[in-house]
Amino acid sequence: MSDMPKRITLQEWDLRYEQLSKTGAYQPDYGGPLSRHVEGGDQRLLKLRFDNSAAALRLWNFLLTEEDRLHEARTAGRKIVGTMKDLGTVPVMAYSFEDIVAFYPDGAWWIPCVMELGAGLLEIADSLGIDESFCPVRAMLGAFVTGAHFPIPDMLICSVGATCDDFSAIAQRLNGLGHPVFWWEIPHRRNPEPDEPAVNLPGGFSAPKCQVEFVKSQLERIKAALEELAGEKLDERKLSAGIQKANQVRRLLTELRKLAFTAERCPLPSLEMLIAEMLAIHFCSDRQETIVVLKELLNEVKNRVSAGNGVLDADAARIFWVNPVADLQVMNLLEDCGGRICGTEYLFTHALDEIPEDLPPLEALAQTALADPMAGSSIDRAQRICTDIELFGAEAVLISRIPGASHCALEGRIISEIVQETFDIPVLEIEVPPVTDSMRPTLNTRLQALVETVKSRCQTSLRKRRR
Amino acid sequence: MKAVIYTCPYVPAEWIAAHGLRASRLLLDRVDSTSMFIRTEGVCPFVRSFISEAMNNKDAEGVIVTTVCDQMRRVFDILVRKCELPAFLMNVPNTWQNIESQKLYVDELKRLGRFLSRLGGKSPSNDMLINIMLEYDTARATVLTARECLPARKYAEAIAAFGRDGPDQTTNRVRDTELQISGVSLAIVGGPLMKQDLDLFDIIEQSGGRIVLDATETGERGLCSKFDRRRLHEEPLMELANSYFGGICDASRRPNSGLYRWLEAEFDSRNVQGIIFCRHLWCDMWHAELRRLKDWTDLPVLDIDTAGDNETDGYRSINRIRAFLEMLQ
Repeated sequence: MSDMPKRITLQEWDLRYEQLSKTGAYQPDYGGPLSRHVEGGDQRLLKLRFDNSAAALRLWNFLLTEEDRLHEARTAGRKIVGTMKDLGTVPVMAYSFEDIVAFYPDGAWWIPCVMELGAGLLEIADSLGIDESFCPVRAMLGAFVTGAHFPIPDMLICSVGATCDDFSAIAQRLNGLGHPVFWWEIPHRRNPEPDEPAVNLPGGFSAPKCQVEFVKSQLERIKAALEELAGEKLDERKLSAGIQKANQVRRLLTELRKLAFTAERCPLPSLEMLIAEMLAIHFCSDRQETIVVLKELLNEVKNRVSAGNGVLDADAARIFWVNPVADLQVMNLLEDCGGRICGTEYLFTHALDEIPEDLPPLEALAQTALADPMAGSSIDRAQRICTDIELFGAEAVLISRIPGASHCALEGRIISEIVQETFDIPVLEIEVPPVTDSMRPTLNTRLQALVETVKSRCQTSLRKRRR
Repeated sequence: MKAVIYTCPYVPAEWIAAHGLRASRLLLDRVDSTSMFIRTEGVCPFVRSFISEAMNNKDAEGVIVTTVCDQMRRVFDILVRKCELPAFLMNVPNTWQNIESQKLYVDELKRLGRFLSRLGGKSPSNDMLINIMLEYDTARATVLTARECLPARKYAEAIAAFGRDGPDQTTNRVRDTELQISGVSLAIVGGPLMKQDLDLFDIIEQSGGRIVLDATETGERGLCSKFDRRRLHEEPLMELANSYFGGICDASRRPNSGLYRWLEAEFDSRNVQGIIFCRHLWCDMWHAELRRLKDWTDLPVLDIDTAGDNETDGYRSINRIRAFLEMLQ
């Protein structure tokens, strides 16, 4: 089998795995053929296309063994903290403790996709009164009820305030089912008023200093609660070390994103990039291994870029993707239609931006929390998207609506308008449920239309330049 | 005098009035989804109507939106871009049990004060604020007392009129008392009602029921608690915050156990025999409470959901209410 980068099926990965094994390629303890995860119910893998590198294999195996790691942590007596909604801030603090493992139960929103609805989590959510009018994150309720996916955390911490109503309502339902939740407030990030002391946040937003101080007070509450849980004090030195480790992950991702999104030929498929980005939010329950996985992936990408190799055609339409998809297969679909990802905003850009290391650590974390794109206005978010479109040279924007999500009802139009006012590039909205099989033709048509529009615009501008 | 318009119960009318402006808490008119410039899929009908009102209200000089609900928070973005009316987004924390959240609410009132000053208002003295709070408190007590002698619809309208116009005409509005009609005692529970939703009160009465507790956001539940007169004279702004932020129970609170404690007390004191649960389509906050409420209470609960612009909705609701009351009689 050729070592040239390409997207392959699960069956092809099995053959490739044998080949890699024969050459004595290193496998971590969670390694193995990808197809073994199908036996555990991850049926969607059979329909996905994967990158064929050993680095991607490690990434996938790392992702798909997270539940095992959490159970091992429980067995080893480590405390498990379920952090909910803030996407990237509280885990930095949690992993600064010796014996705390933090993860996002929110991640259960991908279980209906990966198991092709086989786990029955959405039906359980239905039975609890949380029906399909809510975001697919409602699958989290089912995961708590069955206890079949992740161990029930020793503590649940959830941000509320400037968050989506779906999640807040679902977390409250969870609380009502006997899972106590530690609530903390993230205020709506607003623009500083004239003469009001302001702070420039990581990622480029700004906020009044009093809001940063408020969030810091909330993080102090969380810190105290975690200290009590862990029986360990978290001093500034430990928290600063935790921030430095998190920044190591963020720097790797920054480099990876820049290379993957700007290379002439796309060096890594969008699905692997999505998973790599997700590692930033809670390190897939193993911070050190996250760093190793990302380093390996980055090396692979560097090698491909320097060799001029890629997984897609050089003329692939350069698309900026907004919001994560509930069905992972849609990332494949864009590439099947002739597109590639050049820039993303998956609701957690604040988990990708470096945390300031020259500030008291809690203040730095407070700034990071407040830089959450969802905590501010859709206008702010659109402007950040515009900045990144320019940085990565995207030629179109795809806004992928999350079914039922409270923010998706109104934000798409604002983002679309601002992007078009700024760049005059096409913007398309699609809606992606957990399993898109029944609507694949529609999605296919819409994505093809976007890609064709981009390519025809490229040809037109090329002709204009030649004249 | 032009008005400062809003719908959220956590916006204190007294604070606006103390700045010399007219506070007008709106009971919204339903709008046809086709009349909106925005796509309507996923947008709560109440939010749609609010946008329409803010865009078209000729008597307003400012609009206040709060962060209590995510869709309303995002309405602010639309208003900033599409509406000429000056808009203010007030952070109302969902958490309430720690001092920082309470302080944030007070700080937001102060920031609202600066917005009101920019609209032409004047920062009030303590005496001015105290007088206005007393005036509102008295009028609110008058409205609340009228519950026992007004049909439920008129009572709901009196509360709405008090929110829209302030205390001036309160006594007149509740003076012409009428005999209370009999029937199965019901509570109506949920988020905000719109004008057309008040028809539900008539339908319920015609079907043999009577609303003895209006626990909607636009009803009694959305009124702040009575001011403590001593604290009011010592620190009026703090007492205002205490009565609004600390006195209004809502589904959006985290945790929202206070809402259930309040409901339990009110259900008991008013001998409630059944619950009409009223919610707008796409309102996640209240929708999520429906099953919880059913699990929590032994009382029968009827779910009435509205999409906002469909006549079929109305007929369906009538039939469901009739059937519900037939079972309870």
